[in-house]
Amino acid sequence: MAVNPFTAMLDTLIRQRGVTAALVVSERDGIVVDSNLQIGQDGDRVAALAASLYRKARLAARAAGMGAVSFMQLEAPRGRLCAVGGGGLVLVVVAQASVNVGLVRVELLRAVGALTAAGWSGDAS
Amino acid sequence: MKLAVVEPWIEAPLRQFVSDAGVELALLLHPNGQVLAQHGFARAVDVMSACALAAGIHASAGELGRQLEGQPFRGLHHVGRTRQIFLAEAHWPRGTYIFLTVFGSDSSLGLVRLYFEEMVAALAAAAPTETVPAAPALAEHFERDLDRNLAVLFGRA
Repeated sequence: MAVNPFTAMLDTLIRQRGVTAALVVSERDGIVVDSNLQIGQDGDRVAALAASLYRKARLAARAAGMGAVSFMQLEAPRGRLCAVGGGGLVLVVVAQASVNVGLVRVELLRAVGALTAAGWSGDAS
Repeated sequence: MKLAVVEPWIEAPLRQFVSDAGVELALLLHPNGQVLAQHGFARAVDVMSACALAAGIHASAGELGRQLEGQPFRGLHHVGRTRQIFLAEAHWPRGTYIFLTVFGSDSSLGLVRLYFEEMVAALAAAAPTETVPAAPALAEHFERDLDRNLAVLFGRA
């Protein structure tokens, strides 16, 4: 497996109990930059839809005068989808319903902070 | 002008694609440039131009791919300042077709590729089973057939 700037970050996320997929996605394109997926997860599909959802949430928050979206969570009967964005990228985690969302949130925010500190900046306007 | 098709089996999958992917323009055509369906174009002349250009780009990209890699390139994505173009081949039992779509910031390349694959599968399932013999690109009746398809799409048939 090739090592890139996102490998360690994704490994940390996928090691959380209940996490079934962790992806770095281009916010504008909805294309997977890197991912760590368990069997049965369709990374391309999740990436395209999650990036679209995150982008619209970010724009809605801005339109409503709420400021930047820090953490987005989608709850469904059989799982959760969590996302944070920064530098034109979206970090997406797919997890079982029983996952410890607090831990996932901390790891996602830490990861996006590291991305921003490393100078990643895409045009996600 | 919204969605219009020459053959009815194309309509439902294309309508679904346009709705799901949120694209502005969509065009399905034969590699010889004859249009089969369109969404978003207001004038027949625009469809005709887009078909000719798409067929030309497809042919050029195919030949470039053959020379570089021994096989044709099957897809093209171009990013403009506010709009993007996605052009790809679609294969069905009846033959190969070209699909061109234009989308803006409401959509993304990921969404377009995702729903394009679903549309191709839906069209393959909906297509009539009989095979149509491939006509030469510069057939004797090309212009007549093109005019007929444009007339159907723009309600002049």
